[in-house]
Amino acid sequence: MRVNDLLLGLLMALLGVVTVWASRDFPTLPRQAFGAGTFPTLIGALLVVLGLLLAVRGWQQRGAWFTWHGQVALSRVWLCLLAVVAAVAGYVWLTPVLGFPIVSIVMLTLLIGWLSAGRWWLATGVAAAATLLVWLAFAQLLHVPLALGILEEVIY
Amino acid sequence: MAELQQAVAMVFAWDVLAVIVGASLFGLFIGAIPGLTATMATALLVPVTFFMEPLPAISAIVAATAMAIVAGDIPGALLRIPGTPASAAYTDEAYLMGRQGKIGQALGVNLACSVVGGIIGVGILAFFAPLVADFAIQFTSDEYFWLALLGLSCAVLVSGADALKGAISMVLGLLIAMVGMDSVSGQIRFIFGIPELMSGISILPVLIGLFAVAELLRRLPEIGRTSLPPAPHVAKPFNGVGRLMWQYKGGVARSGLLGTLIGALPGAGADIASWISYALSRKLSRTPEKFGTGHPEGLVAASSANNAALSGAYVPALVFGIPGDTITAIIIGVLMMKGVTPGPDVFTTDATLVNAIFLAFLIANLLLLPLGFLAVRGARHILSVPASVLYPLILLFCIVGAYATNNSMLDIWLMLGLGLIAYFMVENDFPIGPMILAVILGPVVESNFMRSMIKSNGELLVLFDRPIAAVLGSLAILVWLAIIGSSLWSARRARSSTVST
Repeated sequence: MRVNDLLLGLLMALLGVVTVWASRDFPTLPRQAFGAGTFPTLIGALLVVLGLLLAVRGWQQRGAWFTWHGQVALSRVWLCLLAVVAAVAGYVWLTPVLGFPIVSIVMLTLLIGWLSAGRWWLATGVAAAATLLVWLAFAQLLHVPLALGILEEVIY
Repeated sequence: MAELQQAVAMVFAWDVLAVIVGASLFGLFIGAIPGLTATMATALLVPVTFFMEPLPAISAIVAATAMAIVAGDIPGALLRIPGTPASAAYTDEAYLMGRQGKIGQALGVNLACSVVGGIIGVGILAFFAPLVADFAIQFTSDEYFWLALLGLSCAVLVSGADALKGAISMVLGLLIAMVGMDSVSGQIRFIFGIPELMSGISILPVLIGLFAVAELLRRLPEIGRTSLPPAPHVAKPFNGVGRLMWQYKGGVARSGLLGTLIGALPGAGADIASWISYALSRKLSRTPEKFGTGHPEGLVAASSANNAALSGAYVPALVFGIPGDTITAIIIGVLMMKGVTPGPDVFTTDATLVNAIFLAFLIANLLLLPLGFLAVRGARHILSVPASVLYPLILLFCIVGAYATNNSMLDIWLMLGLGLIAYFMVENDFPIGPMILAVILGPVVESNFMRSMIKSNGELLVLFDRPIAAVLGSLAILVWLAIIGSSLWSARRARSSTVST
């Protein structure tokens, strides 16, 4: 989705102002005019200038506020974005409780089943195999502590 | 000599060789699938390399990227869809050769020229990097400040048509780099009350977010809407390739050199090298009218150049710690995670490692031939893997990969947030390259500036005192003038196009 440069520029300029404001209290080095605030202030100021330039350019072009030129319907794009956000959020929130194997299998089955328009057997098979491989590679081989959650009681 | 022997022993260990072959196969798969880039292959590989020694880690990335760039040629020639942006310059040419019944020859030329280009690049890298390092050993914080700034500036200048958006992308990257403890003063900045952010935003979730999640978000909606046509069968991939390469040997050598040089420029990578070599070869050709009709001359030049550029990018990365492209930005991040700080000192303190890296480059490039042959033969199978299965698996890999370095759920949130931001940025024509370079170079620019200021008691002009620093500083200022000029020019053009419509 394309957003008008005027809006994007103003957003960047605002971010720049916030950065400059948040850097005002960083102390300088002893007997120096420079310190931990120098770069953030410079970067913030640069962002304000660049953002305003972009805003002016957007204003001159006078385009629509929001446009969509993709080949796929915008609703489909939003649905996909939402699915990814939901998958990641679900993983972060549910893994400590349910454990990696369950969350991974459910997440992959749902995503593959949905994207392949209902090939649920394929989805379940691939999800189980992929979860096993990732578990073996990361948890067993590389010792990444992927949570077992409720499965801990079942296994141990 | 003893160093070289040690390096040979290091590279020819079974685990390093296994890693090179494994990473090559991974790069082959990712590169051959349209839409998945060599940078994405690297970003997905980094979580695994995190658990390796420096040599296998770097070898894995070198092998995967070289293979991904070569494999990217395959869907280009078969389906007219470039597998990676580095193949885009000559996709039409290779496809049209295929239409004339020379598909095997087109892919064979791609493969053989990539190997030769890659070897030219490695040769130049191995020969020149130590020389430049010898010269760079006298550099102080003044020179490094300007070099890093120059790297950032060039990245903005070559990032695309819109320098203003490139500059904003760079500034956003610098902001990401500011989070956490300042390396000079120890001041904690912008951590929003989250103690985990004190050591800064970890590079891994940034890489995966910007290059894998954002790409995934872009491709996901297309699943089921656009379907790939079936790939044709490839017969006799190497038929007549030797004769063609001999005929255009000058083009191969020129493009290998040019590709390495372009790769060494900060910000310009394999894709730019391949476009420029293609254009130059057309300009110098005796038969420029045949270009674009399935003529192998441009194909020979551009496929040599893009693999040579991969090696070229390692010159500034290893010698100065200044990345030449997004892939070397990732390499520098990986080396730093391993406690190796790239710079001229590495050539004396870790000479064996450096030599071993060069050898790994050579092996990875030689491996392109047999593995590339396999890839050409198996292309139909790779291209038939359904995206609806592949993309959810990549998402799981991203999540586990982002979590793996710090075992932190915060990193997964950061990956998602940055992925969404990068997705919207690319949708609005903001290039991502300057952003990742800024994340790596931001602390380099700041800490060297601060060191120079501490040495000079805050005297700004000291940054121009030393002759090399003065030259680099003037160059950086010139590049910024070019960026401002290009921004003003694009604003003027936009205004005139609005007036005329």
